[in-house]
Amino acid sequence: MSEGPVIKIDDLHVYFFTRRGIYQALRGVNLTLNKGEVLGLAGESGSGKSTLGLAIMGLLPRNAIIPKGSIILGNGTDLVEKIRGKAPFKKDKLNLRKNELLIRNLNKHLQKIRGKRISMVFQEPMTALNPVLQIGYQIAETVLYHDAERLIRRALAREKVTREDLRNMIKILKNEGERGIYEYALKAGLNGIEEQIFAIWNREDIHEAKKEKMIIDLAKDKLGLFERIGLKLARKGMLKIPLISRLARRALIKEGYRVAKELLSSLGIPQVDSVVKMYPHELSGGMRQRVVIAIALANNPDVVILDEPTSALDVTIQAQILELIRNLRKKTNAAFLFISHDLSVLAEVSDRIAIMYAGKVMEVGRVEQIFEEPLHPYTKMLLDVIPTMEKDTLKPAKGTIPDARYPPPGCPFAPRCPFAKEDCLKFDREIAVTKDHIVSCILYENKK
Amino acid sequence: MEKRMEAKEIEGLRLSLVIFFSNKTAVVGLMIFMAYVIDALLMQFAPSMLGVNNPNALAFDYSNTIPQPPSPEHILGTTYFGVDLLQAIMQAIRIDLGYSGLIVISGALIGALFGIISAYAGGWFDEILMRITDIFFGIPYLVLALGVGFALGRTIESMIIALIIVWWPLYERYTRSLTLSIKEQTFIEAAKASGVSDLKIMIKHIFPNTLPPVLVQISLDLGVVMAIFATLTFIGFLPTGNLPELGYLTSLGLNYIQIAPWATIFPGLAITIFALAVNLMGDGLRDVIDPRRRSS
Amino acid sequence: MKLWAYILRRILILIPTLIGLTLMVFVIIHLQGNNLLLAQYLNPRLTGPAKQQQLEALTERFHLNDPVYIQYFYWLQQIITGDWGYTNTPIYSGSVTTAISLFLPNTIIIAVFASIIIWLLSIPLGVSSAVNRDSIRDHLIRVSSFTLYAMPIYLIAIALIILLGVYFHVLPFSGPVNPLLVSNLDWYKNGISYPTHILLIDALIHGNLTVAWDAFLHVIMPSVTLALGIMAGIIRILRASMLEVLEQDYIRLARAKGVPEKIVINLHARRNALLPVATSFGYTVAGLLGGAVVIETVFNYPGIGYWTTQALLVNDVGGIMSSTLLFGLILVFTTLILDILYALIDPRIRY
Repeated sequence: MSEGPVIKIDDLHVYFFTRRGIYQALRGVNLTLNKGEVLGLAGESGSGKSTLGLAIMGLLPRNAIIPKGSIILGNGTDLVEKIRGKAPFKKDKLNLRKNELLIRNLNKHLQKIRGKRISMVFQEPMTALNPVLQIGYQIAETVLYHDAERLIRRALAREKVTREDLRNMIKILKNEGERGIYEYALKAGLNGIEEQIFAIWNREDIHEAKKEKMIIDLAKDKLGLFERIGLKLARKGMLKIPLISRLARRALIKEGYRVAKELLSSLGIPQVDSVVKMYPHELSGGMRQRVVIAIALANNPDVVILDEPTSALDVTIQAQILELIRNLRKKTNAAFLFISHDLSVLAEVSDRIAIMYAGKVMEVGRVEQIFEEPLHPYTKMLLDVIPTMEKDTLKPAKGTIPDARYPPPGCPFAPRCPFAKEDCLKFDREIAVTKDHIVSCILYENKK
Repeated sequence: MEKRMEAKEIEGLRLSLVIFFSNKTAVVGLMIFMAYVIDALLMQFAPSMLGVNNPNALAFDYSNTIPQPPSPEHILGTTYFGVDLLQAIMQAIRIDLGYSGLIVISGALIGALFGIISAYAGGWFDEILMRITDIFFGIPYLVLALGVGFALGRTIESMIIALIIVWWPLYERYTRSLTLSIKEQTFIEAAKASGVSDLKIMIKHIFPNTLPPVLVQISLDLGVVMAIFATLTFIGFLPTGNLPELGYLTSLGLNYIQIAPWATIFPGLAITIFALAVNLMGDGLRDVIDPRRRSS
Repeated sequence: MKLWAYILRRILILIPTLIGLTLMVFVIIHLQGNNLLLAQYLNPRLTGPAKQQQLEALTERFHLNDPVYIQYFYWLQQIITGDWGYTNTPIYSGSVTTAISLFLPNTIIIAVFASIIIWLLSIPLGVSSAVNRDSIRDHLIRVSSFTLYAMPIYLIAIALIILLGVYFHVLPFSGPVNPLLVSNLDWYKNGISYPTHILLIDALIHGNLTVAWDAFLHVIMPSVTLALGIMAGIIRILRASMLEVLEQDYIRLARAKGVPEKIVINLHARRNALLPVATSFGYTVAGLLGGAVVIETVFNYPGIGYWTTQALLVNDVGGIMSSTLLFGLILVFTTLILDILYALIDPRIRY
């Protein structure tokens, strides 16, 4: 599993400027997300966990600043370089207009990365989809703006492929598995057909004979005249020229609808042919959340941030979506950052869990470490308030999270902590108790 | 208990004032509005203080009827028939403001009456009123006012009646939607459950709650109605030629626009500034009654 | 619900509206008994016994001795068959239907030009004002649209006349054309051009480019005035709704999936922000028509509005009543078309 970090967050600070004061949402977060893992991020509301997700995406409002810290991708790109410490001030007051321009510049800079290498699923599926655009379009454009090549490749491969080729490939698929297909496609110059075959082959809702027939039918699916012209234009790089680009874009979007159908059926949505032509208001909440997940997965990203993806859903739908996310782990090689206030949800899907409190990470460890041998008093308190079969009374969490405008010095949990001592007010370090179990608490200072 | 209620009301009032006065443009709007009101009141009760003998008629000066440019003697210049513009505008403000106020308030009262009853009663009464107001919205209001006013005879009274007829449907729709949302609130349910009569609920509970937003709407509409009022007289609705009214004053200057632009500019400015002022003031008042703004 | 079902329902609602509209005009005519009705249908040139004879004929035709509600149906029949009576104004004297065929084209041309200007300018201005919130451009757009919104439309016209006509002398501001240019043309008589009655188009048909250009210059000021008056409101609505839309989750998602900012603004946000503007189109059309009355009067442009105010000045019943009815009909039918178009843009409205 863990083969090195895909995202490394170092000493990240994010502040929000409002009329009532400066909210210090993140105050030095250190966190690493490794390839292929699911990292659960837990915390009460106001702990800064959602802000962390948005900061990674660069989706900050115009009153946000990043005074210091870094978010470094696997290849070394620093995502916050463009705005770190650059906030425009005029006598202690943030110049909102100029800061907005700064953030807009960051947006431009991150456009190629978002949706391609990192993508995000939001909490509220009812409002996350654009009400006036078709579902298929909303998925298709995600591919279009990042990987138009892929769409061209797919369409041309289908144009070229013969029934003979497809029959051969089915044989290979049965005997040698997926790897053989890549080789065959490469040799026959059919690059782009393989993902279409896999999409059919990996479906679970139909039996094998039907799958074979569908794969062979791919050869029948030829392009129309306008699409052929459009693709030719797109191949010649005419996507930037007005009017002509329309034709090209339309052809690509049409191919994108096919991608959308494949993605949606892999996420267990029935009747994808009609679903892609629907508008969001025609779908239920659970279906919409699947569409949003499909959008997040469209370009096979390295990282998917899931910001409370199940909180707004019914319990039964919640279970389905969690099941879906568990399956996705096996199918994709993306790393997931799963943000939730609900530790019991995180327990079901995560490899590791990070506990946040008042803009800081309190404890990070593998799931079993967090649940079986929690170290931080705050983690223990959170575990105490989870309802279980054995407990007959529910203990409410005592105290409240500190005001983010005036965070207490040292350990932010000290005011609520039953073991607090005077030195806590000065303590601000992370202690690796074991190699992968890190805690930020004075109690473990000497136990190293 | 009584005292605490009082304290709470005073606190609410204080908050309203703070919100309103923190909006500088709204305060400017209020000041301009007050200046117009004071001018109108003085013109009504003590015209001689402003050097006017008859506030209802323009003082023609036949010795020099050609418009003269602004001078120490005539600060804003004169317009056709030798009328001093400053004095004429000050007279006109009384007429325009008074009549627009009359039109908007009567329209609002009629509209609120029907709006509350129709939303509260619902059913066929509501349906019929909806269709009737639909028809009123089916004709451009200026054209409708022209038609109705013309049929009643081209006098200032019929013009006012015509504008009230045009204006009440707007308030019917507005109070109707307000009432529909108030009706859903629990205190109405509670009043109903404790056996308060429908009439009493409408008068004591619904009407006072529709009042603040309706008052804001009235302040915003004052400018619009004054503009329409002036427009009607500008295009010559009233056949008489001696009414101190801003639209009429503008039309007097129009024939001299090439040589005496001030004769159209100043009366025009008087309307524009007023309309701007009530709009700014109305925006400020809207903030005051907006619960989202109050809580922040 | 299917689109055609929605359209059918929308057309059915039209029937009571049309009945109400005609009923209202009928009531207005009858506010003072039968005088106005008679005035509208009595040929103004008749005198003596001939007049008396026609009065009797009219009493018979409109069943003026029957109860009022029966009179309505006879009047309605008259309107539907296209007999709208007579008009007698300084600019035209004759049957109302002819007057409409002469004046309506001019109103349409001004309204069309104004709509084009509104369409071309208000959307980019409103969108860029919201996108560049608090910038100098935003402040300029806001202040000017606020002022224009507050001004009565005839004052906008006067301001433009003083600025462009009197001060800079760049544009003509009275009438449809320079009279010297058209004094000897055989297709232009008594201020009426043939065959379409739209001077600009007729001049192009006859290949007279000088007149066409002059006619075009004369159209600019009225249509710009009309556009400015109406645009102000649209820009305000659009700016507010754009600001609201830009805060929505789906915009955040569009950004999160790496859609270029230009597409986010121009497709994802703008299409949604235009919905409230589209719902207020009815008011826009009403403003366009009401504004035309005033503007044609200020610029002496011979359209329906100019005819209406001329009729007002000489107490011509036919002109006033027919234009009230005509404006109502235009408004009702354009709102119908706009509603159907709206249902095409927004998939949610049909359900």
